[in-house]
Amino acid sequence: MVHAAVRAGRPAGAVVGRIRQQRLDLAATPGRLWLLLIGLVTLCLAWGALSAYTAQHYSSAASSVVNTREQLSLDAQQIYSHLSDANDATATAFLAPGPESAATRTRYTSDIAAASSGIEQVTADGGVTGTAAQDLAVLAKFLPTYTQEIGDAEANNRLGLPLGAAYLRDASGLMRGNLLTSAKDLYAAENASLSAASAQATGLPLIIVTLVVGVAVGFLLYRASRWLRGRTNRVLNVGLVAAGTLLAVSVIWLAAAFLGARSDLLSAQARGSATVEAVAQASITAQEAHADESLTLIDNTGRDSYEMDFIAQSKALGPGDGTLLAGAAAAAAGTPAGPTVTTAASDATAWFADHTALRALDDHGQHPAAVNSALGTGAKDSGAAFTRLADDFAAAIHSDQAVFNSTAPAAASAYAGVVAATIAAALLMAAACVWGLSRRIAEYR
Amino acid sequence: MNAATSKDGIAVATSPHSARRSVLRGPGPRAAVLALAALGLAALAAGCAAPSPRPVTPAPHAAGHQAAAHAGTTSQSGAATAAATCNPAASSLAPMGPPDVTAGSYMATIKQRGYLIAGVDQSTYHFGYLNPLDGKIEGFDIDMIRAVAKAIFGDPDKVQYKAISDQDRISAVTSGSVDIVAHTMTITCDRLKQVDFSSVYFDAHGRVLIPDDSKATNGLAGLAGQKVCATSGSDSVNTIEQYPVHPKITAIQRPFWTDCLVLLQQDQVGAISTDDAILYGLQAQDPFTKVVGPQLTDEPYGLAMSKQHPDFVRFVNAVLAKDESDGGWETSYKRWVNPAGATPPTPHYAS
Repeated sequence: MVHAAVRAGRPAGAVVGRIRQQRLDLAATPGRLWLLLIGLVTLCLAWGALSAYTAQHYSSAASSVVNTREQLSLDAQQIYSHLSDANDATATAFLAPGPESAATRTRYTSDIAAASSGIEQVTADGGVTGTAAQDLAVLAKFLPTYTQEIGDAEANNRLGLPLGAAYLRDASGLMRGNLLTSAKDLYAAENASLSAASAQATGLPLIIVTLVVGVAVGFLLYRASRWLRGRTNRVLNVGLVAAGTLLAVSVIWLAAAFLGARSDLLSAQARGSATVEAVAQASITAQEAHADESLTLIDNTGRDSYEMDFIAQSKALGPGDGTLLAGAAAAAAGTPAGPTVTTAASDATAWFADHTALRALDDHGQHPAAVNSALGTGAKDSGAAFTRLADDFAAAIHSDQAVFNSTAPAAASAYAGVVAATIAAALLMAAACVWGLSRRIAEYR
Repeated sequence: MNAATSKDGIAVATSPHSARRSVLRGPGPRAAVLALAALGLAALAAGCAAPSPRPVTPAPHAAGHQAAAHAGTTSQSGAATAAATCNPAASSLAPMGPPDVTAGSYMATIKQRGYLIAGVDQSTYHFGYLNPLDGKIEGFDIDMIRAVAKAIFGDPDKVQYKAISDQDRISAVTSGSVDIVAHTMTITCDRLKQVDFSSVYFDAHGRVLIPDDSKATNGLAGLAGQKVCATSGSDSVNTIEQYPVHPKITAIQRPFWTDCLVLLQQDQVGAISTDDAILYGLQAQDPFTKVVGPQLTDEPYGLAMSKQHPDFVRFVNAVLAKDESDGGWETSYKRWVNPAGATPPTPHYAS
């Protein structure tokens, strides 16, 4: 117990004698002590409310990013890319004479299974609203129609009937006109939701306000203890010192959790999901271009609408300034996927060269040779070149998704216990204030 | 004209497993030959065999296509009207002896190149279609092309096939991107202004394909107010839209005939209307459909070639004449159209 020099100079006996009359006299010291007690308790509880709210806000935003929005965005991306791949797989299957190969069939069925379960997953999550919900409805409605038409196409194809190609055209039109556009819109919407949630989880304004308030509370505690030193003969009030210490702990804990989670989230995005998104865009564009290559050969009527589409897709893909591959390379720089994306750029260029050779064959009456190149696995075959590119994209997505998966959960767990801790700290602060002041008030009895 | 109406009795045996066993059976082709003969006589009687090998006056060919829609007696009236200016069935150049690749001819140019370039259909079953099992284009039209290639090279396989859509048939010929088009292509006076045709190698007639359970067994007359499919830009679209019923029939247009069959199977259209040759190919792909109604139009098929190469037209006609006389035509007919066989159309030439 520390005893300060008595500076007030008031006789203790006189104070005790007047206490009943002066209990409500707020101008006198005991009344002021009561006021201070009430004020400090209120302040501590208010701080508790604010700090808990802040912790809860960031914790749920981080958890939403990691557990919900990221998952929805990933599901939407999976739906989009699996549909695009299914479209490509069927085009490849129909390009080859005879029944489809086991490999293409497996690719198609696993794509459709993955897309279907993705649609179910996203629907079950219930976090999809607005136009994205309409897109989801379109997907759920037309995917069964698409698979049925592909089934009709295959059945007729196996009988040697040209009707199979007509069903493929119809199914392909449905895929391009409805399914892929809806999947693309859904993915864009989910990606925007993810960005918004992420901005909320890493946003600075609320945490700054809270920390400033925390410092202000600390200042008020300091002022209170200065005032007490003037009113009582103690240099320090142990209760207030304890409250201040608890305040410092909760402020530092909150700030540390925020900074840790923010850095984890930003890193998970920069080194994980941003690359995954950029590479996924490039991968889907490449798949659509590849389907165009097959469809041009299947259509075989000299109409060049699919080839025009191929040219547009290949320009969007790049490499070159402002292209998807350039974007993917920028996003992947310094991540595990970096070298793979660099390889993808050169593989894309090689594929386009093989594609040009394929078109030259087809345009000069060598349709069978062009088909062989599209389906081939040889060094100069367009089919093999596309497979290399597709493998690059798959590997890049896989490695950077792993980065995200290992980094992002830390962001959500950084807030573990912070809400409870801030509430507990605030209650203890209030208790410490009551304890510290009630001892001083008791001295006036 | 009882011959024409007797076509209604055509029976079709269909096996989905073998394209080659599904057939177009009946006395139709023979009847058509008789009709053609009558038509040729009518043309001669009208004294309209134009001295110019290429009639250029616009012809009311619609008469031949639609006027006799109900009666099923199209040959007589159609020919009589059209004959005033042009006779599609006797519009080609006569061969100069047996097929021979003479020096300096267009055939020599083709031979020099090493292969014939043919514009063909890839989705019309039994006439020109891509067999999905082996990736090869085959059919009755294709056999005509193979006969031409054999006459030039001694090898029917020296052909580069270019699959073209219905609406690209004329431009493929006029642009010179193909030497010849074999594409269930009806010789019409309009088309004769832009391209030359061979002599008639097949006589088709416009009819209607409906699902088995449809009530429109009398053809377009029973389809008032309904939707009927035809390929984009085909003459069948006009036949459907101008058919005199109330309310009018709506023509739904698709790029290929098989696309129409998809719509029919999905109940999006009530029927498909075009040449019976094409309809029987569709019916062979769906045994739950039938070809019904009277013959709406005459559709004499010819191989289209550029007007720049009359020597080639005469050569092709010589090939067809040889093919028709030595049994090649009938072999193809039996393979693709009807195992019972038929007599080839008797060629008539303008000059």
